[in-house]
Amino acid sequence: MKFQTIIVGGGLAGLTAGLALQKKGISCAIISSGENALHFSSGTFSGDCPEETVRLFEEAGIVLKGDPAKDSWRLTPSGSMQKVRLAFEDVTLYPSEKINATNVLIANPEGFIDFPTAFIADGISQQGIPCKVKSFSLPCLKLLRESPSEMRSVGIAKKLDGCIEEVAECIKGLLDGEDLVILPQVFGLASPEPVRALRAAIPAEINFIGTMPPSVPGIRVQLQLKKAFERAGGTFLMGDTAIMAEIADGTVRFIRTKNLDSHILSADNYILASGTFFSKGLTSSMQKISEPLFGLDVECPEERTEWYSEDFFAPQPYMAAGVKTDKDLHPLRDGQPISNLYAAGSILAGKKNAGMALTSTFKVVKKIAL
Amino acid sequence: MTLQEITGSAHNFEECMKCTVCTAYCPVVPVNPRYPGPKQAGPDGERLRLKNPEFFDEALKYCLNCKRCEVVCPSGVNVADIIQEARIRYSQSKPKLRDKILASTDTMGSLARPFAPVVNGVLSLGVTKAMMDGVLAVDKHRTFPKYSSESFEGWFKRKAKAAQDAFKEKVAYFHGCYVNYNYPQLGKDFVKVMNALGIGVELLDKEKCCGVAMISNGMSKAAAKNAAINSGAISKVVEKGLRVLTTSSTCTFTMRDEYPELLHIDNAAWKNSLLLATRFIYEAVDSGRKKLIFKDSYKARIAYHTPCHLEKLGWGVFSTRLLKMIPGVEFTLLDSACCGIAGTYGFKKENYEASQAIGKALFEDIASVAPDVVACDCETCKWQIEMSTGYKVMNPVSILAEALDTELTAEANRS
Amino acid sequence: MAKSNEFDVIIIGGGITGAGTARDCAMRGLKVLLIERHDIATGASGRNHGLLHSGARYAVTDQESATECIEENMILRRIASHCVDETDGFFITLPEDDLDYQAKFVESCRSAGIRADIIDPEEARRLEPSVNPDIIGAVRVPDGSVDPFRLCAANMLDAKLHGAKVLVHTEVTEILKEGDRVLGVRTLDHVTGEKSEWYAPVTINAGGIWGHGIAEMAGVQVGMFPAKGALLIFAHRVNNIVINRCRKPANADILVPGDTVCIIGTTSTRVPYEECDNMKVTPEEVDLLLTEGAKLAPALATTRILRAYAGVRPLVSADNDPTGRNISRGIVCLDHEERDGLKGFITITGGKLMTYRLMAEKATDVACRKLGVDRHCATALTPLPGSELGGFEETIKKIWTMPATTYQKATAFRTGSSAKDIEKGVGLVCECEEVSSGEVDYAIRNLEVHSLTDLRRRTRVGMGTCQGELCACRAAGMLAASHGCAERARKDMREFMNERWKGSRPIAWGDTLRECEFTNWIYNHVLGL
Repeated sequence: MKFQTIIVGGGLAGLTAGLALQKKGISCAIISSGENALHFSSGTFSGDCPEETVRLFEEAGIVLKGDPAKDSWRLTPSGSMQKVRLAFEDVTLYPSEKINATNVLIANPEGFIDFPTAFIADGISQQGIPCKVKSFSLPCLKLLRESPSEMRSVGIAKKLDGCIEEVAECIKGLLDGEDLVILPQVFGLASPEPVRALRAAIPAEINFIGTMPPSVPGIRVQLQLKKAFERAGGTFLMGDTAIMAEIADGTVRFIRTKNLDSHILSADNYILASGTFFSKGLTSSMQKISEPLFGLDVECPEERTEWYSEDFFAPQPYMAAGVKTDKDLHPLRDGQPISNLYAAGSILAGKKNAGMALTSTFKVVKKIAL
Repeated sequence: MTLQEITGSAHNFEECMKCTVCTAYCPVVPVNPRYPGPKQAGPDGERLRLKNPEFFDEALKYCLNCKRCEVVCPSGVNVADIIQEARIRYSQSKPKLRDKILASTDTMGSLARPFAPVVNGVLSLGVTKAMMDGVLAVDKHRTFPKYSSESFEGWFKRKAKAAQDAFKEKVAYFHGCYVNYNYPQLGKDFVKVMNALGIGVELLDKEKCCGVAMISNGMSKAAAKNAAINSGAISKVVEKGLRVLTTSSTCTFTMRDEYPELLHIDNAAWKNSLLLATRFIYEAVDSGRKKLIFKDSYKARIAYHTPCHLEKLGWGVFSTRLLKMIPGVEFTLLDSACCGIAGTYGFKKENYEASQAIGKALFEDIASVAPDVVACDCETCKWQIEMSTGYKVMNPVSILAEALDTELTAEANRS
Repeated sequence: MAKSNEFDVIIIGGGITGAGTARDCAMRGLKVLLIERHDIATGASGRNHGLLHSGARYAVTDQESATECIEENMILRRIASHCVDETDGFFITLPEDDLDYQAKFVESCRSAGIRADIIDPEEARRLEPSVNPDIIGAVRVPDGSVDPFRLCAANMLDAKLHGAKVLVHTEVTEILKEGDRVLGVRTLDHVTGEKSEWYAPVTINAGGIWGHGIAEMAGVQVGMFPAKGALLIFAHRVNNIVINRCRKPANADILVPGDTVCIIGTTSTRVPYEECDNMKVTPEEVDLLLTEGAKLAPALATTRILRAYAGVRPLVSADNDPTGRNISRGIVCLDHEERDGLKGFITITGGKLMTYRLMAEKATDVACRKLGVDRHCATALTPLPGSELGGFEETIKKIWTMPATTYQKATAFRTGSSAKDIEKGVGLVCECEEVSSGEVDYAIRNLEVHSLTDLRRRTRVGMGTCQGELCACRAAGMLAASHGCAERARKDMREFMNERWKGSRPIAWGDTLRECEFTNWIYNHVLGL
C-alpha cells in the first residue's frame, strides 16, 4: 500500500500531523500501536504552542481555551496552581496564580476516590477562599458500585453523560450561594455536549478538574482528532505496530507492520511520532536506551546510574532522552540524517511538553507540504 | 542471551502498565457489573492466579473475546488471550446443553439442513421460541439464521466444480459453517468474483467449523480437534502452492491467531497463506496483477462496519479500500464499535439485554448515516445488525459480485 | 492504681522480636508498652526473603539453629497460618556443584529433625517447572514462605488485644536511670513532636541492629555486626516452591515465592554502622543477584523486576569472619544485671525472623523472673488474630457460603479470618493487589497506620506492579480524610512516591522504566505535584 506520508504513532503529534497534512491534500496513514498519552491528559497543554493548533483543532470540533503564546494558570487535582498555555473547554483557566471565585463548592460522585477532593479543598483554602466539599449520588451510578473496580472516570462518564439534566438538578440542590463549582472530569466522553449542557444549566462557573487516568476529555479529543483525520480521507491503522523499516541510501524505502506482515507500506515521507518509553518509541535495557524501529542515534546519558535523579519529583534525565536530528528534524542514524524521515513530538531529545510536541509537528508538516 | 535484554515475551501480562485504557474501551464493563473488566480479569488476575489458582473467577466467562482490549492496549498486552487461557486452564464449570448446541455449528447445520423448510418453520414458531427461551435459555428475541435447503458444498459439487478446471490459477476456499448451511449465496458470490478474476476455486478435502464458538463456550478440547483437522486440510493445499481464502473475518482470525495462542496448534506453515478474500483481491488489484471493471449502473451508499475480530487482525483497511474502488459507491466508515452479538454470546437469554446495550452506539451510528447497505465481513455482526436496525448487511464480496461487470472483468483478466 | 505512664515492661523496637515479645508479655498478664521509632517491621524484619526456613540451610554448619528453625517452622504453620504459605522447598544441585554435598546435607537435616527427601531431577522439574532444567540433584524440605509484615502486625494486634499499649513513630531519646537501675525511657513523638517519659521495672532492648545504640544509651556495650544483604523482587511468582542451592551458603542462592511476587537474595557485605539507616543497592549487586538467580530459575533472566532493596542482618559479633556469613544465627538474650550489673534492662538480639517467637519467649521468661511473675508461655499454642480458621482455602470456605469474589479472596489471603469483618467499601484502592477501600479503612482503624508507607506494610497497597501509580493518590485521599490534614497527606504522598522510586531506581529499565515514566506523568503532570 502506498501513501504520500506514513506516520508512526497516533498520539498528539502523530494525529495533529496526519490531520494537518490530510487537510492539505496529502494522503496519510497513521500506524498506532494501541491508544496513547492523550488518554492520560491533564486537559491542558503547557509550553509554547504554535498558533495553528487552535484553528486545526477547531476544524475537528475541539475548542481550545487560552492564548498559545501566553501563560495562564490551572487549578490542579493536588490543589496547586500550574502554568499552562491551552486547555480543553472543560478546564477553567485563570489569568493569575489565583482562582477567580469568592466561594467554592467541590462536588464529587459519592465513592469516587480517583479525585482527591481534600487536596483541592486545601489548595483553595490556602488561597483564602471558602470552600466546601459535598458528594452527590444518582441512581444511574448504582450499577457501577456493584463492581469493586468500576467507579472510575470513564465508567462514571458513560453513565452521567446519559442523565445530565438529573446531574444538573442534583448539583443545583447542593449549591448554597457558591460562584464556582469544581467537578471531576467525568463528563463528555463521546462529545463535549454534556460539559456544555451542565455549564448552561448551573448558575455558577464550573471548572472540570482532572482525575486519575484514563482522562475523559483526553479520550474525547483523541476520538475527535481520529474521526476528523479519517473523515478527511486518512487511513488509521489502529492497534498495529511498525516492526521493521527498510532503509537504503539514506532514505526509508518501506515499513512492515505486525498485522499486515508481508504487505509492505511505503510513502514519499515518513514521520516518527512514536513517543517515549511508555509507548515504546524508545526502549531501554540494562545497558542502553535505543530507538527500536529505525535504529536512530539517541541522546541520553551513557551510564545507567546517570539516567535518574534521586528525587522522584525532580527532572529525570531518562525522560529527556530522545532521537538526535539535524535542524530540519531529520533524525540521525550513525551520524547521518535520513532524508525522507522526520521526527516529531516527544521522541525528540530534550524537555517534553505538549507545546514542544506541537511545535515540532507543525514544523515537519510545513517541510512536507512545501 | 544477555540478562534482562527482553522482558515480557514469556510473561506478556507483565507489560501491563495499569493504564486502564482496556477497561475504558471494553464493551462488557458498562453493561455487566459482574464482569471484573479486562485489566482485572487479565493481567492483574494472572498474577493472583499464579500465586494461587483459587483466585480464578468464573465471571471471566462474561468476556466476549472481542479483542478490543488488545487493539487499544498501548503496551501490546494480549489481554483477551490471557483471559481465555485462564478460562481454559482453571474453569471448573461445564458447558451447558444450550451452549453445546449453539457452539456445534456444523453438527447442527448438517442435521438441520436436509429438513431446512421444517426446521426454519419450527425455529421461527412462537411456541418453539418460547420453549427455547425457557428450557434452553436462548433468547426469544433471536431469530435463528435460516438453514438453507442445499448446502454450499452440495451446490458447488453440482454446479461449479467442473467449471473450475478451466482456470490455471487456483485458490482454495474455506467457506465456514455459515456459508455452507445458512447462506450459500455468499459462497456463490465468492466463486463468481474469483472466476471473473480468472481464478478457479477448490474446496478443502475436509473442512470443520473453525471452532470459535466452542472456544468461547468453554469447549476448547472439541475446538482443538476441529483445529487439527482444518490445519491438516489447509496444510495440504498450501503445500501445493495454493492460498486459502475465506469470506469470514472471524474464521480467519480464529485460525490464524487463536489456533496457536489458545489451542496450541502450530500453524506457522500456513498462517500467512490464509487470507480474507478482500485482502487477496485488494493486493491482486493494487499490484496490477488483476483488474476490476464495474458496472456503470451500480450506485450505492455504503457504510462499513469493522467487526471486532477484523479490527484485531488490522485488515479492515483492505475491505474499505476495495469498496472505495467502486466508482458508484458513496462510502462512510462507521465508528469502530462492537455490535454486541459476539458469536453465540448474544443468543443466550442471560446476555440479551447486555448484547443490545453494547450494540446501541453502532445502531445509532448506522441510523444517522442511513446507508443503502451496511457492509461487513462478519456473519454474526450481520445477524445482529439486521435484527437490531432493519438495515441490510452485505459482505464486501457480495457487494463486489453485484457491482462487477463480470464479463468485462473476466475478459480484462484473461489477457 | 498505676499511673498511665507506668508499665510492667517497656519494649524498645517494633520489629518482629519486639512485637513478639510484646505479645508474649501481654499474654502472660504484664502491662506492656511497645515503642517503635518508625513503623513496625521497618528494619531487618521487613527486609529479608520472607523465607519460612525449614532449617535445612543451616543443617550442615549450625545444628542448633537448624533445630530451632524446624521447631519454630512447625509452630508458625499452626499459629500464623494466614502469614504462612506452605510451599515446600528444593535444594538443587547444578552440574557445577558437588553432588557429594547432597548426602552430607541430607544426613545433617535428618539429624536436626528436618524431613529431607531426595527426589529425581525429573520429578523436581515436574513439580516446579521454573527450576533450572540442568539440575543433577534435588532434595525436598519443608521450607515455605512467611509474610513478615503480616506476622509483625498480627503480633502487635494480639499484644494490643491483650492490653498492650503501642507507640509507633516514637523514638527513645534517653534511657532513664537511677544508679545501677533502669527506670524507664524518655521519648519523642515524631508525628506530634511531644516529649514523654515512661516508667517500668523492666525495659527490653529489642532494637535489632539499632539495639547497639540503645544499649549504649543505657551505658552498656553490645557489639553488633552489621552485614548488608541485597535482594531483588520480581513482578510475579516465577516459582511456587522455594529454590535453594545445595551447597555451602553463598550469594543469591535462595528464590522465595511470597504473596504475588518472588524474591532472590541475598548478598552479604560488611557495612559501617552509620549506613544502616540508608541502604542502597549497587549495580554490581543487581548484576550478581540476576546472574546467580538465573541459575536457580532461568526465567528470571527475562522476568520483570519490581524493586531492589537491602536489609542489615542484626548479628552479634562473635568472630573475625569478614563476610558475617559464618556467624551463628543463634539467639542472644542478655540480662544486663548479670552481665553488666545494670538492673531492669534486657537485650534480646541475634536470632532471625524464623525464631522470633522463641526469642520473645526467652526475653519474656527473664522479664517475668525479674518481676516475680510465674506464668508460662502460651504463644506456641495460641493462633494469632487472623489464623483462627486455618489456611487460606479453609478460611474463605468458612467465611463465605457463596463463592468469594476476587477482592474477598485477596483480603482473606492477607488478613485471614479478619476478612469476615472487612467490607468492600467504595471499591478497590490498589488494583494490582486487590485491596479494597474497606481493607484500607480496617487497617487505618485497627493497625496503627500513620502514613502511606505504614499502610503498605499492612495491606500491600503500592506493593504491586504499579508501585503506587494508581493507589497512592487514592489511599492518600483516604488518609487525609481520616487524619483530617490534607497538607500532611500530600507530603506523605510525596515521601511515599520517593520511597517507591528508591526501590525502582536500581532496576529501572524495560517495563519497569516504562511504568516509572507513566507514574511520573500522573503525579507531576496530571496531579500537578
